[in-house]
Amino acid sequence: MNLNPRSLRPRNVRARLTLWYVAILAGLLLIYGASTSAFLLFQLRSQLDRLAIEDLETVEGFLSFGPDGKVVLRSDYHDHPYPAEMQERLLEVRDAGGAVLFRNELLGNRELGGTPQADEGTATYSQRSIRLSDGTPVRLISKRHRLDGRPTLIRVGFSEEPLWQSFWQVVIGLIAGLPLALGLAGMGGYLLAKHALSPIERMARRAHEINAERLSARLEVENPHDELGLLAQAFNETLARLERSFEQLRRFTSDASHEIRTPLTAIRSVGEVGLRKQGSSDHYREVIGSMLEESGRLSRLVDSLLTIARADSGQVQLARMTIPVLPFVREAISLLDVLAEEKVQHLSLEGDADAKVEADPAILRQVVINLLDNAIKYSPAGGDISVRVVHVLNGHAADQIAIEVEDCGPGIPAEHRDRVFDRFYRVDEGRSREAGGAGLGLAIAKWGSNAHGGHLELDCPPQGGCIFRVLLPGRDTRA
Amino acid sequence: MRILVVEDERKVAKALKEGLEAESYSVDIAHTGEEGFFLMNSQMFDLLVLDVMLPGRSGLEILSALRLRGPRIPVLLLTAKDAVEDRVKGLDAGADDYLVKPFAFPELLARVRALLRRGKSEPVTSLQVQDLHMDLVSRAVRRGAQTIDLTAREFEVLEYLLRHQGQVVSREMLARDVWKETTRHTPLDNVIDVHMARLRRKIDERFPVKLVHTVRGVGFVLKSERANEP
Repeated sequence: MNLNPRSLRPRNVRARLTLWYVAILAGLLLIYGASTSAFLLFQLRSQLDRLAIEDLETVEGFLSFGPDGKVVLRSDYHDHPYPAEMQERLLEVRDAGGAVLFRNELLGNRELGGTPQADEGTATYSQRSIRLSDGTPVRLISKRHRLDGRPTLIRVGFSEEPLWQSFWQVVIGLIAGLPLALGLAGMGGYLLAKHALSPIERMARRAHEINAERLSARLEVENPHDELGLLAQAFNETLARLERSFEQLRRFTSDASHEIRTPLTAIRSVGEVGLRKQGSSDHYREVIGSMLEESGRLSRLVDSLLTIARADSGQVQLARMTIPVLPFVREAISLLDVLAEEKVQHLSLEGDADAKVEADPAILRQVVINLLDNAIKYSPAGGDISVRVVHVLNGHAADQIAIEVEDCGPGIPAEHRDRVFDRFYRVDEGRSREAGGAGLGLAIAKWGSNAHGGHLELDCPPQGGCIFRVLLPGRDTRA
Repeated sequence: MRILVVEDERKVAKALKEGLEAESYSVDIAHTGEEGFFLMNSQMFDLLVLDVMLPGRSGLEILSALRLRGPRIPVLLLTAKDAVEDRVKGLDAGADDYLVKPFAFPELLARVRALLRRGKSEPVTSLQVQDLHMDLVSRAVRRGAQTIDLTAREFEVLEYLLRHQGQVVSREMLARDVWKETTRHTPLDNVIDVHMARLRRKIDERFPVKLVHTVRGVGFVLKSERANEP
């Protein structure tokens, strides 16, 4: 049979926890039981040893040599009342050569410990466990003793049977209790795990109900400070981000299709209407020209969308080089200067001539041009547009270079400020596409700033106008 | 001059054929890579206009095979992909020029002319249309007897128009060749329009015959009379 060990693993955490719990507890109980039993055995033995030594000392005094050269135990010894164990005494006396001089009745003809060992009982008492010829386990205490001036070896033994009996009783009791204890612990552990994990089950059920259509639902956080609360909060934050990006995507898709549909509709209706009546070649030239204008607008829109898509997917590789900011901005201004001149606007540039950044010139140029274009578009005729290049000192943090473009337009109402950088977003919905463009300029400028590790921010001073500020990490001139 | 156009989109192919034929080129069309490759090997052409995305063998494959065989015929690639690496791939495969769809037809014409003219250009020191005269060495411009003052940018624009006189010049062409703008979505159209308006004011306003004309939806053209407009 092919048994995959993984298939034996319990599927849920609850069962796995319980299993681990029971296994660890069983291990601990076994170690505890074994050491308790060993200690008990040791205790019982030393107790027996003490009794035996006491008895041996007593017996010594009652031993003497008889007339036949054998050793006798004086009978008045039995008159003394002794504990029951003493009645069980086994006694043997041997001479120095090892010949048996005495064996008591209980011992009979059985050997008690056999031939004396070399060091047996020489210094003080020696003790060991032996077995009699009939298999009885016996604790043996020996002592060398001069009896009536002759060296003898006295051996006293007691059966260990009662000792082992109580030992095994305890061991059996422990073993018998083990499954019961483990069973109870397992049940308790299971219930505990179930209780502890039940919020997770609830969270999982709730999470299942949350899908793309119902992203607004959230997990309930029972205790925001415990582990499960933290998990639920993290999950909720992820959901919120997901919901935001879904919302962004939805808005983007609908805005993009609107922006694409508008020129398409124009192309179609201009063409259809143009074909309805027979006209001069000038008429057709006019119609086709108008359609071409719209298709040009459509291509530019698609180009911008491609730029954004490429930026979103992180496909854009920055070709960074050191750029002196002031001449770079001056060049961009000279490009758009004519537009300001047409509106009799005054475009001024001032700032730090030493400011340098590491940037991709094509992308940074687009950022600056988009901001300038925006400022010219929204400033009234005759207005002032000032561009500043500023070195921003941030204490010990890395310095930043700011490129500020300040217009004297109507400003941006507070409720629109967060969203002006969104794609296709126009502050004034009614503004025509001719005047406002597709609403991608600031979105691209923002992306371009972020791509360089900087950002684009908007300030609206109370006296009116807007300041768009590109903050870029400055090049470390000290290095 | 014989041109082979390999383009699978029939409408585009037809428009290219008609447009090029109107400029007095003789045009053959192939709708698949295989067909194009066969025609190229069996007949002689002066120029190849090749779409990159073709059913069957791609334009780049055909181009590589063509370059291996030897005959040095100029190739203009057309593609809808404008990522830099696509452009590099096309030029590496042996293309002489590269045009991204959607393109302005005047631009295609300008490039076709440039490719066919390649190696035959003679140095020019002055340009002229009717009574408008530009001296490229002294950078002096005059119309009739009147000297016209132009800014550096206006001079460049006028030079470009004069070099392409009688041909429509699109805003994209001006942006790329005069302003040296590489990305297509930089908002330069307004800038170009302003410059064109100023140029017009300087060279046309005080004269009865207008030289600069707007072709709506396409671009501008510099020519002497209004009679034979394209």
